[in-house]
Amino acid sequence: MKNNALKINPSDNVIIALQPLKKGDMVILESERIFDAVEDIQAGHKIALKNIAAGEKIYRYGEPIIQATQAINRGEWVHIHNTRPILGDVTVK
Amino acid sequence: MEFKGYRRENGGYGIRNHVLVMCSVNCASGVVQAINRAIPEIVPVINNYGCGSAGNDAAVMLRTLVGIANNPNVAAVLIIGLGCEGLGAHRLANSIKGKPVECLVIQEDGGSATTTKKGIEITRHFLSLTRAQKRVPAPITELVVGLECGGSDAFSGITANPAVGATTDLFVKAGATTLLSETTEMIGTAHILKRRAVTPELGEQIEQLVNNQEKKVRLALGEWAGMVIAPGNIDGGLSSITEKSLGCIEKGGTTPINEIVGYAHRPTKHGLVIMDTPGYDIDSMAGFAAGGTQVILFTTGRGTPAGFPAVPVIKVCSNTRTFRSMPGDMDVNAGTIIDENRSIGQVGQEIYELTMRVVNGELTCSEKNLSIPFNYLKEGPTF
Repeated sequence: MKNNALKINPSDNVIIALQPLKKGDMVILESERIFDAVEDIQAGHKIALKNIAAGEKIYRYGEPIIQATQAINRGEWVHIHNTRPILGDVTVK
Repeated sequence: MEFKGYRRENGGYGIRNHVLVMCSVNCASGVVQAINRAIPEIVPVINNYGCGSAGNDAAVMLRTLVGIANNPNVAAVLIIGLGCEGLGAHRLANSIKGKPVECLVIQEDGGSATTTKKGIEITRHFLSLTRAQKRVPAPITELVVGLECGGSDAFSGITANPAVGATTDLFVKAGATTLLSETTEMIGTAHILKRRAVTPELGEQIEQLVNNQEKKVRLALGEWAGMVIAPGNIDGGLSSITEKSLGCIEKGGTTPINEIVGYAHRPTKHGLVIMDTPGYDIDSMAGFAAGGTQVILFTTGRGTPAGFPAVPVIKVCSNTRTFRSMPGDMDVNAGTIIDENRSIGQVGQEIYELTMRVVNGELTCSEKNLSIPFNYLKEGPTF
């Protein structure tokens, strides 16, 4: 099966959509169907690989990049609407 | 691990055997171009400055030009000067060590036509010397690989940069030196890079370097500093500056950072080293070349043909669309991670194998196209 998502680092809790995904599309990671997309997700955007609690850090490249501002369910889109930069990290506004 | 290179008198091994013709000031560039028209095999270096610089800019200029002439890929150097320039052609020529160097000065050598004629004779002689030289086995510890990204897109941090990171780990494991650069593109990751330093002291230095760069960006760009993470980046799926910059530093792989060197300085350690360079590709590559880098891995998403004088540049493209739309400019298609189920590790291995072939003589796209723009870091005004 053709992958349409990529996990960059084994310890990541998000995966990256390699193609635009529609709600209900099978998400295929490492040639295996892992779940169906629960909403539309653009190519290059992040998808929660597991349930993430509010305040929990999001890992990509094996590093914390942002933190959840609300509970995010497995399969949901992860972006600036439900996360924020990690307090204490340097951020250019 | 070994490669086949050209042994230089002052140590080091080149992966190319180029005759460089460099002007000490832009006023003399016409003669460099005329020699290049007569003898296409030479590598021209058109120095855009050479006069009217002061302070740190003047120091960076001399260090960069001398460093590039001293690069192990360069077998012999002809300097073309004007005569009255601030940099001084003889001063530049006298700073180059361990290889044949000649210097012509237009005001002393009979004007541009005569200087061109003399220059052609000298470069013909240099080329006959280089043809007699043969590649010999060299330890991989003598290899310095530069890591660059430019014309990035939303997939650069997903395919090309992680794949180059896997390549970097293979080179570090083999004993080579790899140079991570572009300090602007490290903003937001100081705390992560600090943790990866081999000593706490080095970690502090890295944090300071990145934080100072952030201050410089804020000072220079003011309200535009936010362009470091632009609306287009957010549309592409990036949620923080940390996430964006991690996509860039992925090229450095996973091994500890062993040293930081200033712009155009030579690394003294093996393994992963940071060089403080600007994000502008051409200036950054000049820093690498002056630091003795023999080959550059350059990731791109939008696509760029830019190589560099005397240093082979390997283009790793993040997506199949650009790879196909710029045939002959892209060396590797990391878009196969998206289109052909290939893993980051598999593409990293492919880049490693291609790089070793390039090190041993295979030409890159930018070498075939003779796309070798030249420029270097300059921060202050021209007087």
